[in-house]
Amino acid sequence: MNKDPNKGYVALLGWSLNAVEAAEDFDRRYVVVAPDWAEDYCKQHDIPYLSWNFERLNDRSLEIAETLRDMGVDVAIPLFEETVEWAGAINSVLLDNPRLYGQALLLRDKALMKRRAQLGGIRVGIFEEAHDKEDVIRFLKRVNQTLLKLDGDPNDPIHLKAFDKAGCLGHRVIRTPDEVDTIPEEEFPVLMESHLDGWEFAVEAWIHDGKIAFLNISEYVTLGYSVFVPATPELEKYRPQITAQIEKLIKAFDIDFGLIHPEYFVTSDGEMYFGEVAYRPPGFKVFELLERAYGFNAYQATIMVFDPKTTEDEVKAFFPKEVVDAKGHAGCFGVYPRRRVVSRLEIPEETEDHPYFESHELTAPLEETVTKRTAFGTHWGLVYFFGDDPHTMRDLLKHQEELDFYV
Amino acid sequence: MTTHNGDQDTEAGKLDGLLAKLDEATELLANARDFAKPGKVRRVFDTAKRVMLQDGGCAAIERRARALEEAGVFNGSDWAYPQILIPSLTPHSLKSGDPDTVVLEALSELRLLAVARAAYEHPQISAEQAHHYLTQVLAINLELLFTAPSEAERETQGRLALLTRALFAHLADTIGYEHVIDQLIDEIWRILQQRPIQVDAVKRMITQIAVCQANPDIDLGTSGQGADRLVSSLFGPTQACREDPGLEVYAERLQPMDANALQYEATGFARAMHDTGLVSAYHPVLLRHLLDHGDHLLAEALGLSATGRDCLLCYRQLVQALIEEGVHPATPQAVYGLALMLERGILYQPPVAPALWRQIGLPLSAWSQERMRMAYGDAVSPRARLLEGVLCMLGLPLGVGQGNNPTCQSARALSMWAYNDPDYLLQMVAWAARDDEIIMHFEGMPLSSMASLSGVATNLPMDLDPVSLLVVPHLDRIYAEMGRRCIGREGDPHRWVNPEFHGWWAGRGFRINVDVETGQLDQLEDFLRHFYASYHPFYNGNQPLIHPQPAGIAVTDSAARFIGWHAITLLRVNLDPQDTMRAYFFNPNNDSGQDWGDDVKVSTAGHGERFGEASLPFEQFASRLYIFHYDPLERGELANVTQQELDRVIGYIHRSWGANRVPAADLQAHSGPA
Repeated sequence: MNKDPNKGYVALLGWSLNAVEAAEDFDRRYVVVAPDWAEDYCKQHDIPYLSWNFERLNDRSLEIAETLRDMGVDVAIPLFEETVEWAGAINSVLLDNPRLYGQALLLRDKALMKRRAQLGGIRVGIFEEAHDKEDVIRFLKRVNQTLLKLDGDPNDPIHLKAFDKAGCLGHRVIRTPDEVDTIPEEEFPVLMESHLDGWEFAVEAWIHDGKIAFLNISEYVTLGYSVFVPATPELEKYRPQITAQIEKLIKAFDIDFGLIHPEYFVTSDGEMYFGEVAYRPPGFKVFELLERAYGFNAYQATIMVFDPKTTEDEVKAFFPKEVVDAKGHAGCFGVYPRRRVVSRLEIPEETEDHPYFESHELTAPLEETVTKRTAFGTHWGLVYFFGDDPHTMRDLLKHQEELDFYV
Repeated sequence: MTTHNGDQDTEAGKLDGLLAKLDEATELLANARDFAKPGKVRRVFDTAKRVMLQDGGCAAIERRARALEEAGVFNGSDWAYPQILIPSLTPHSLKSGDPDTVVLEALSELRLLAVARAAYEHPQISAEQAHHYLTQVLAINLELLFTAPSEAERETQGRLALLTRALFAHLADTIGYEHVIDQLIDEIWRILQQRPIQVDAVKRMITQIAVCQANPDIDLGTSGQGADRLVSSLFGPTQACREDPGLEVYAERLQPMDANALQYEATGFARAMHDTGLVSAYHPVLLRHLLDHGDHLLAEALGLSATGRDCLLCYRQLVQALIEEGVHPATPQAVYGLALMLERGILYQPPVAPALWRQIGLPLSAWSQERMRMAYGDAVSPRARLLEGVLCMLGLPLGVGQGNNPTCQSARALSMWAYNDPDYLLQMVAWAARDDEIIMHFEGMPLSSMASLSGVATNLPMDLDPVSLLVVPHLDRIYAEMGRRCIGREGDPHRWVNPEFHGWWAGRGFRINVDVETGQLDQLEDFLRHFYASYHPFYNGNQPLIHPQPAGIAVTDSAARFIGWHAITLLRVNLDPQDTMRAYFFNPNNDSGQDWGDDVKVSTAGHGERFGEASLPFEQFASRLYIFHYDPLERGELANVTQQELDRVIGYIHRSWGANRVPAADLQAHSGPA
């Protein structure tokens, strides 16, 4: 597409084919900043590219920021959790705003993030940092004492999460002190949280000029398995409260622009609890689902709200109206093999024959023995659905959990 | 009626819905940048697959062929260059377990169909070329046109097996059966020349031809001439059943016939049967009728020579019982098995006739009956079905096939026993069918098929003849157990397993030309000289091979690439009618006519082969051999084969399965222009 020199010039931090494709088809100039393994591919396909290894911030960090500044780049956009602080550091130079780096660090550390949210008047569960197994056992006991459990009552579980990893990576649920032994030493330190019995959901909010430009609510059918957009009316009825929560978050974290991806619980009494927030596109291909449901490209939306040269009118014209403008509901299901030994991929006929079924990206198993899942783990691939009725979608996604895709 | 229409409406609605999705996915793919296409092609594949499973789906895809190709479904694959596609590769892709491969191949075929019909002008391939290509594809994959998915296909492909069949039905409807039929007929004759025991697939193909011939909508043109003998041998081999009147009508027509008329019928059936190896369902009706009409007509109806007739007369009562119990319109091949068994004269071996009496009255275990019913249905009793199988195996020892199962060892053993030790075979059948257990001994230790957990085959094979169906699962487990007993021994376990498994006549001496540790060729020249000395009449004192010997073959594909190790039986070595020294062998594969590459083409007819034998010139055979047995007491001097001849054999090895197995030292010796 022809690039408009009056609009911004963006750097995409990290390699995402879908993001590159979106940028290629958008009117902003862009450059991909990615590790050197992407170089050949970018050359071959004429993709603007700058080589950088994002392993850790170091003395050379300023170098990439200055290179981008000299190229005339206006802003850096993080595509993955690991590039969030890089974007903060680079943008503090490009936009001449040192505060952005601190903000990024805040958004990278789950414990700091919760504390900041708490200070901003947002409700969070009980949480604490653990440095060893002792800490975990103490926290498990204390949480359950608080809940007035007697000895012998089944414990309420606690959740353990890595400080700085995306989504479900490193996420464990601990119910008894015995289970604490299964945590490898190298996973510490971790963040511990009390379990909230509620309905967990995620939000993707595009923020321009400190205001919400578009707010999507992603409904999890089962955490780690399935998600669809837009949500059911039962969840969408909380939209005003959720919007208020996001506005609090914007204020607490002082977010002026960009895309945020927070997770919340809503308890049975309608109370919202903040889980965590990420400053990057969500996993589970929610961007692709949004495009399927609404028709707008969520990567282009992200580029637009990051670009300091974007006008308010352009933003207004770009985004559709939430929920009402959706052509249908798009969902996906993450497949985990259910058997210990599998030999091949076999999409269940009922799945394939369902009118909502669209496609899948599952591949044949490479090994016959399925590694036992310790933490929440990574799914083996996604199956996509699209249809009119949110309840059919929800039940369909739920039902997939009972089917074998690998036999 | 209304419900039926309703069903059709929803079916059509489903197709329309899927096509809308397909068109959307195709458009997304078309609009995507080249680098992003791999990510968009998934939805096209998944949707196209579902479309092709619907009635009319293939036609709908054909209409979209151009849009699909231009969107880029073939990008980055060989299918993007239709001019280089090779028809003989399609069976592999169409039977692949990977859905994407099957879908790509199917999309490509439908695209070429659109090209062939001039609906799509293709820059790289002309309509004539596309038509020619598709004709070849149809002929090579005929069974997709005429047969239901085999158990093995169902296992690896699931519903994809139905997709390929829908595709081929559409291709044949469009291209026209007349382009296929002649190749099909040649193929049927080629297979029948090997006289397989299992002829169901062949019968289905012939039936399809008959159906095509009878269908006024199918214009066969001048093709299909050679099918008459095939069709008539099944549906109307004689004057009195020429128009396929039905079994009851035929039985009525027999009643008033005099000896002359019956004689005429008898010769007609016999000629058809011995011509084709196929038996019409009318034939048993006549045979059972003739039981009351004297031995002469019976011998005539079986088409017996002097030897067979002699045998029939000696064992008149046994033959009568075999016909009454085993020969029914639902088991017509029993007639052919019986006739050839009598011709072989094996009834003169003392244990065979009493063993057959046991077979006639053999009670089958519940499990055996269940297996027989599952495989063959209920048309006749499992015992009669098994008796048919026994007669066929004794009559056609080289007609045994392993089906789609990795059980070549067991099939080879059954064939060898039927050929060489028929009463032992009958003993095995009795144990397996009646007792559900076979016990064999390995180095003095009894091995029970009940106690051995698993065989080579992971699933119970179903696509087998009746005897194999019951016996192979036992043999397979025992064979695998013998292998397990050899774990830890140095060298190849066949050294010990083959003689213990097959029989005393398998030589205890053993030679292998591959080093088991490294997989490299080992002492190749000595191996070959020893093989010549043991088996080649010019080097072994003109001694014909006495007992069938197990041997191991390195099977290669038509490009001479190594496929795997395979068990065969070496049957005889002698000069063929063209005065070439040939090795004649039994290959338990269902079709022995194989192209092993580098001009090594296994012949099944035309070089002095008997029914079911495969043959190769001795040098070519030696070049694919990797294991043979010999009698250690008879071991003589290594044959003084000329270096030229040895070099020719070694050349064949080095150009095929031995290409990557030449030890470093050997390579140096052979390198250079010398």
